[in-house]
Amino acid sequence: MRMNETEKELVEMILSGHTEAFEPLVTPYRQPLLALAYRLTRNREEALEVTQEALLRAFRSLARYDVSRSFRNWLFQIAANEARDRHRKRARERAAVEDAAWDKPPFAGPEAGRERREIRSDILQCLAVLSPREREVFVLRDLEELDIKETARTLGCSSISVRVNLSSARRKLREAIRNDFPYLEDGR
Amino acid sequence: MTCRKAKKLMPLCASDDLRPRLLAAVRAHIDACLSCRKELGEYRQALTRLKAAAKAESVPDWSEGDWRALMARLRPDASAARRPTFLARPRWAAASVLGVFLGLAVLTMLFKDGNLGQRETSAAGEPSVVSLTLVSQQTGLKIVWFLDKNFEWKGDEN
Repeated sequence: MRMNETEKELVEMILSGHTEAFEPLVTPYRQPLLALAYRLTRNREEALEVTQEALLRAFRSLARYDVSRSFRNWLFQIAANEARDRHRKRARERAAVEDAAWDKPPFAGPEAGRERREIRSDILQCLAVLSPREREVFVLRDLEELDIKETARTLGCSSISVRVNLSSARRKLREAIRNDFPYLEDGR
Repeated sequence: MTCRKAKKLMPLCASDDLRPRLLAAVRAHIDACLSCRKELGEYRQALTRLKAAAKAESVPDWSEGDWRALMARLRPDASAARRPTFLARPRWAAASVLGVFLGLAVLTMLFKDGNLGQRETSAAGEPSVVSLTLVSQQTGLKIVWFLDKNFEWKGDEN
């Protein structure tokens, strides 16, 4: 899916200084982008932060955007990178806290509590069985319906890596549905 | 193809994500194997259910307040989105001009019996030392480099 003519014109306008054209350019993607971030982070507040940062980054890097590419997928790439960076940062912080308090009783922290409360829908619970990379691949390929090549480009990895992670993700999800969500298997 | 290999490839076969040749081989096996056909059906069904559940799921949307606040944050940042122009970056332009000038000077020195530097000639008439003079336009600082006939640095003079 390539960029349409209207989007091209809007990008040109922004690059020539009419920055108010950014809003009509990104408005069609505001909800899909938030949905993607929500599925990757599984947390509403964090998804909102990821999306905001992604849109700010997109605005600042618009001059480097390749117009032969789908604008939606480019936004998805920025959002996926942002979600991954945050996940790594959080993991490092958590590891540091655990190192500092190794002799204290385990404390999951407010983030974990918030995450537990946030996990409501079946689809989010299913996604919880996946590793971050498997989740990214599954969300982009199966839920957002990007093809293998575009998924690889969006995640900055090879098509082989996408296939490996996709295969593993589908296997785990099938098991999760069979064991924990049989009503999904029955189609109820 | 064996059942074991077909089952390994099944998750990708469920939505035709294998390379065409491999996909054809798995399909040929599945056509002849009831157990693998059943498993492929299960994968396909699971995927369809997951996609349907994802479509039916209520995902959060922006509140108008959050959206307006974000768009407002972009306004002070307006210059960041503009296309960088060569002339808008005087330091880069000056550096490029200086680079071209130096390149031309070196090329002239290499290919002509030019007047750029003083030459000393050996007994055989070959120049043995070449000098290259660099003058800063801003500070007036003058540096002379001396190079031998193999362009090895021999010394400088300020």
